[in-house]
Amino acid sequence: MVELILKYNKMLLIFVISAFISFNVENAEATENVNDPFENVNRNIFKFNNNLDDYFFKPVAKGWRKIPDIPRKPLTNLATTAKTPISLANAILQLNKQSIGNIIGRFLINMTFGLGGLFDVASTDSFGNIPDTEEDFGQTLAVWGVPDGPYVMLPIFGPSSVRDAFGLGVDTITNPLSFGYRMSGIGLEARLSGPVVRGVSTREKYLDYLDEMKEGSLDFYATMRSLYRQKRRKDISGELESKDLSLSMLPIETFEDEELKSDAKNIITTMKNENVETKSDMTRYYNGVLPSSNYPGFNESRVNLIE
Amino acid sequence: MSYFRNFIILALFIIPIHSVSDEKIEQSKYFVENLGKEVVEKVSNVNLTESERNVNFRNLYLNSFDNYYISRFVLGRYWKNLDSKMRKQFVESFNDYIVATYAPKFKGWEGTFQAVDSLIENNYYNVKMNVLNKDGPTLKLMWKIYLDKNKNFKILDVNIDGVSMLVTQRAEFMSVIKNNPKGVLGLIEAMDKKTSG
Repeated sequence: MVELILKYNKMLLIFVISAFISFNVENAEATENVNDPFENVNRNIFKFNNNLDDYFFKPVAKGWRKIPDIPRKPLTNLATTAKTPISLANAILQLNKQSIGNIIGRFLINMTFGLGGLFDVASTDSFGNIPDTEEDFGQTLAVWGVPDGPYVMLPIFGPSSVRDAFGLGVDTITNPLSFGYRMSGIGLEARLSGPVVRGVSTREKYLDYLDEMKEGSLDFYATMRSLYRQKRRKDISGELESKDLSLSMLPIETFEDEELKSDAKNIITTMKNENVETKSDMTRYYNGVLPSSNYPGFNESRVNLIE
Repeated sequence: MSYFRNFIILALFIIPIHSVSDEKIEQSKYFVENLGKEVVEKVSNVNLTESERNVNFRNLYLNSFDNYYISRFVLGRYWKNLDSKMRKQFVESFNDYIVATYAPKFKGWEGTFQAVDSLIENNYYNVKMNVLNKDGPTLKLMWKIYLDKNKNFKILDVNIDGVSMLVTQRAEFMSVIKNNPKGVLGLIEAMDKKTSG
């Protein structure tokens, strides 16, 4: 018990320091709006993560994809169901009625009709398409008004912020399942199975999408940073875009630059002259892949490189 | 009696506005659905050469997207400091970069764009859409479009689960410019290198 209190005190201290750093850095970086004062270190960690990903996680994820739907999907569903206690605890702390309803509803349906969480029947039409809702302590802190603070790249875990990294630590320590495992004397190997399966499964979902992004990107690090920030903002606030960056805030007329328009029209005219018509008798083949069609579904809560 | 007359006058003003608005909403949905058909017809075809695919994609992009707006938005505050020659150079390189990045990815794709809903927010239409992939997962998107002066719909942004492609592109470009001693010229060179490579 004493050990636990000491652990919490340390975390509280880290939290206070982080909040202080966050406040100062946010003021200093307000003009750039990236809030990434540790960019050099973050980029090095990002490079390390990418190497680790190329040589370890990606091959594992590719192997995971080759496993037949059964047992792959039931294992993923079980690992997802195992996150229910921590998600529910956070939804309650946030007083988020919708999330509480979704989490309890999914859990009850999947544990009964889904044969103990092996099958995700709650997401099907028959059970009302209940979305998979994940809540973490980083989100809870955000709801309580704690700013996200500087961007940090965590080794292995990927993009995060000071607030979310702290939240991740709290979730790991306070997960009711971890207490249950310890009390039942279950070893670390067994306890890691859930996070490992979730991590591999998440990486598998992003396999093609990340490759596409990396290939087309001029600065992959900056792209990931932006994706993470936008995604977290949406998860926390439910808003599809930041009010500061909303296109609706910018009158279209401002952008009607006659000179540029004229130049662009020339480009269009030139290209139209070189236009190539499609032959109607051409056979089309389909490889089943839309650009970025492997982008995870709406209910995916994080855009971590590695969960 | 005067109430009745006022009601009639009010109705005469309101009803046409609603019907015009509804019509535009339907048109905005049709616009994105039709775009999907054009992609299948003109870009996805596996029998096209790379050059043909690029040309067709470029035409679709220039006709359907507001590339002036997009070019300016992604360059953020740096746009103001550029002279017209530099702006033109940037727009050309950016268009080439978009074509080189996205056109090849549509090769062989077949599916349907299904507009689910369209909402008007100021002058903007937020068209929610499902991309139905044959044999693949359904992708949910939101297009931000508007009617230009010539009454043509133009796309400003695509939003995937809270992630704006425009905002992401701008964040990336800002970082490239910041970390390159040549600034915007360095970004143009990086785009050209990517396009030619």
